[in-house]
Amino acid sequence: MSAHGITRADLQAVNLPRRRLVNRLMQALATLAAAIAVAALVLIVWSVAKRGASALNLDLLTRDPAPFSFTPVKQGLENAFVGSLVLVGLATAMALPVGLLVAVYLTEYARPAIRSSVSLVLDVLNGVPAIVIGIFVYGLLVLGHGQSGWAGAFALACLMLPLVTRSTMEVLVLVPSSLREASLGLGIPRWRTTLSIVLPQTIGGVVTGTVLAVARIAGETAPLLFTSSIVGSQTSWSPTHALQSVPVAIFELSEQADPGSHARAWAAAFVLLLFILFTSLAGRWVATRNRRRLSTSR
Amino acid sequence: MTSAGEAAELTRRPFTGRRLRFGDVSLQAVAGAAAAVATVLVGLIAWKVTAGAWPAIRRYGISFVWTNSWNPLPGHELYGAASFLFGTAVTSLGALLLAAPLAIGIAIYLTEIAPRLLRGPVTALVETLAAVPSVVIGLWGILVLGPVLRSDIEPSLHRALGFVPLFGPPSTTGSSIFTAIVVLTMMILPIVSSITRELFLGVPQDQKEGALALGSTHWEMVRGVMFPYARGGIAAALILGLGRALGEAIAVTQVIGGIAGGTGIHWNLFATSDTLASKIASSYQGATTNLQLASLVYLGLILLVFSLLINFFAQRIVRRGARRQGVGANRGALG
Amino acid sequence: MPKPGTSIRITLVLALAALATAALAATAGAAPKRHAATLTGAGSTLIQPAVQGVWGPGYAAATGTQVNYSGIGSSGGIAAITGRTVDFGASDAPLSADQMTACNGCVQIPWALSATVPTYNVPGVGDTKLRLTGPVLANMFLGHITNWNDAAIKKLNPGLSLPNLKITIAHRSDGSGDTYAFTDYLSKVSSEWRANEGANTTINWPAGVGGRGNAGVAAVISSTPGAIGYVSDAYALGNHLSKARLRNAYGKFTLPGITGIEDAAQTVKKVPADNRMSIVDPPATKKYAAAWPISTFTYIIVPTNSKNATDLRHFIFWALSPKQQLSIKKLIFAPIPKVVLVAAEKTLLKIHAAG
Repeated sequence: MSAHGITRADLQAVNLPRRRLVNRLMQALATLAAAIAVAALVLIVWSVAKRGASALNLDLLTRDPAPFSFTPVKQGLENAFVGSLVLVGLATAMALPVGLLVAVYLTEYARPAIRSSVSLVLDVLNGVPAIVIGIFVYGLLVLGHGQSGWAGAFALACLMLPLVTRSTMEVLVLVPSSLREASLGLGIPRWRTTLSIVLPQTIGGVVTGTVLAVARIAGETAPLLFTSSIVGSQTSWSPTHALQSVPVAIFELSEQADPGSHARAWAAAFVLLLFILFTSLAGRWVATRNRRRLSTSR
Repeated sequence: MTSAGEAAELTRRPFTGRRLRFGDVSLQAVAGAAAAVATVLVGLIAWKVTAGAWPAIRRYGISFVWTNSWNPLPGHELYGAASFLFGTAVTSLGALLLAAPLAIGIAIYLTEIAPRLLRGPVTALVETLAAVPSVVIGLWGILVLGPVLRSDIEPSLHRALGFVPLFGPPSTTGSSIFTAIVVLTMMILPIVSSITRELFLGVPQDQKEGALALGSTHWEMVRGVMFPYARGGIAAALILGLGRALGEAIAVTQVIGGIAGGTGIHWNLFATSDTLASKIASSYQGATTNLQLASLVYLGLILLVFSLLINFFAQRIVRRGARRQGVGANRGALG
Repeated sequence: MPKPGTSIRITLVLALAALATAALAATAGAAPKRHAATLTGAGSTLIQPAVQGVWGPGYAAATGTQVNYSGIGSSGGIAAITGRTVDFGASDAPLSADQMTACNGCVQIPWALSATVPTYNVPGVGDTKLRLTGPVLANMFLGHITNWNDAAIKKLNPGLSLPNLKITIAHRSDGSGDTYAFTDYLSKVSSEWRANEGANTTINWPAGVGGRGNAGVAAVISSTPGAIGYVSDAYALGNHLSKARLRNAYGKFTLPGITGIEDAAQTVKKVPADNRMSIVDPPATKKYAAAWPISTFTYIIVPTNSKNATDLRHFIFWALSPKQQLSIKKLIFAPIPKVVLVAAEKTLLKIHAAG
């Protein structure tokens, strides 16, 4: 462009060398920032992988801990892995149905006023720090009764609920209204429309949301400290008593003095990290695949 | 594609001659009950936490917030939140100070500078940092970061900048406020950078091109067009990061060391301290008297109030901003 | 369009989830109540190696009852049993009168005997090479002695080359029975300590870094050159921490072995009605020449009335038996002396069978 004979080069010419320098500098800084972030992540994952992999053996998953054995003895963290499985499983069983139903209610039935208030409530629930959830469940279920896997699972479910609800809502509104209209027009009752026509369209999104929520709570420590931390060494599947969990085990082992405990902590952290990364990636892959399917099917 | 409002409207439209089916009523009732449960849950949390803190609230009132004492000695019991509020403020703000330029830099890099091939992997890498559980970062903090800070970095900083009270004598154990700040920075970096990145992606292309056409350098365009456009959103992202840092209990407990020698209010970043969350995590199990337990829950109540305010406002701003820019354009009005 | 039968699939999945949850709840509650499947306890980290390492697995092998134990510090144990969040509490510090009242119908039973040890991490000074006295130890923890090459320490250790290294004090950050025993001892040997700090499970430490549980203090000491702290004997043993010799009242520099602990326990001639005993700083007579000055009993605290009363009685009786007392000797627990055993079993009778 050249209005009144001024070219771009003319405009740029003002102070150009200094401005170019500043530009280069800022580019370098931005690249440096990215490099630092990548380095930080690589540092952590590398530490966990290196130390964890070297301490990783099948014993970790098949043997129970032998605390205070003082002489080297084969031990592992089987009770923690089994406990985490039970706790996360129960938490999902509690949070998933409720989350689905809340999402259905908010998208299919609720008046706008109710919808925004309940959404607000869910936002609030999402913003409660995990440690306060721990205090809450402690006061509700543990005081006077003792710790239990149920209390721990319930605390984790409270953390999962807003995540599952929100991701289900996000996919529920993607279902075209024409689908609902057609179904109702054919004489199918509203409830069957919702359950048989609308919900099946959302399975992919629900799975994604649940998987991502699982990845999130698999590493949660604070709520379990209050509700499921007084545990024995023997592996147990029963949630009536407190169950050991992988994050709590790592937390306790990290504060011990002996290198054997540290090694087991790294190994457990390695397995936990792999699990979380794998489930996060799986969740995102399902989400992308689903988004592609939904967009092509329209 | 429909909005939630349309869907509800659709199904509420009266169908003449259609009697109320049992199935319809049941589903709506069950679903409504679930929503009620979620609402009740939140109310229950607020109530339980307040009720748990009540003995301390009744005893100390609001002065608890500025009382600088945590004395569990029987007969001399006096509890107050001041040192923990200070610790929380210093660690969270410190982490924010470190994370903000890093996150903005990352976002600029990923949207403007990085070669196309690198953008996906690096973005994925940064977001993977968000997936690392706090207990694992804390483990790394205790066993890797702490020793390095203790033996190399903190002494050097103290030697070089020791005249500033911030860089006082390093702690001997590797646990310190500074270690906690570094750990928290790593935890909030992904959130802030991913939101900032999405904001930058939403800057209208024509505005950017216009600035470049007018002769700006790339950096001047970023500073003159992208920053002003994204300013509100970046602020919200920082607030969200702050909320995350406030509530982090586990990793901080592992590396902050606990208040030593009386007061936690001091300027030395290299000394140990405690935050609201870390005090609760480390002390609730050993709380010896009802008053001590209630005081710990009172700390939790303060933490809850702050976190709620921060998270709530930040989320609303972020979502409103995202909707305005069409990020996640298929989302309808969810309220 | 959704495949036919998808809604049935969804309903089935939801129903299965609900059923699974209900089934788990049912089976968990349906276990026969003859023997409690699990006894849950929490508290002292001093007794933790014995309970988690030896007695727990032993009792489970003998009776099938699992013992879940968590070391949260003696104060935590007292609080936990007072709130009835556990079946039994464990504390090295006996309950005060107020705590007894708050516990509402509890008894404390001495069930093991061990010691608290000053341990250190000083490059060049090996295990048991360091000699200290009570007053010097008190001055270190008061913050008056700040460097390892201080004259007071050198005087006690003429043969050692002590480095020019800052002293880092490591103490317990949680309410601890080890703290109780340690400060009880310091109060007896240092008038300044008695006046300013006193003896308690938790105090306002004038100096130093806190660690949670014996494990936390052990971690601080082993990772910090120049650190000195106090841990229970089993932790010093298990973490290969260097133990300091202490000069007892008689004048000998003794070590916290079984002999030293047993000698100190001999100061108990008659057990008071509430079982409160203090055996720190034994008198300066020849009988206690080899006594370790910071020995301590440790207690199990149980309600007299509870649904697990029978199982608790059985468990405690089992732990008090000679065979079980000997089984933890390798963790440096001396078998409790006869007079204390008699008192313990008498107290055990107060625990009623479940009504």
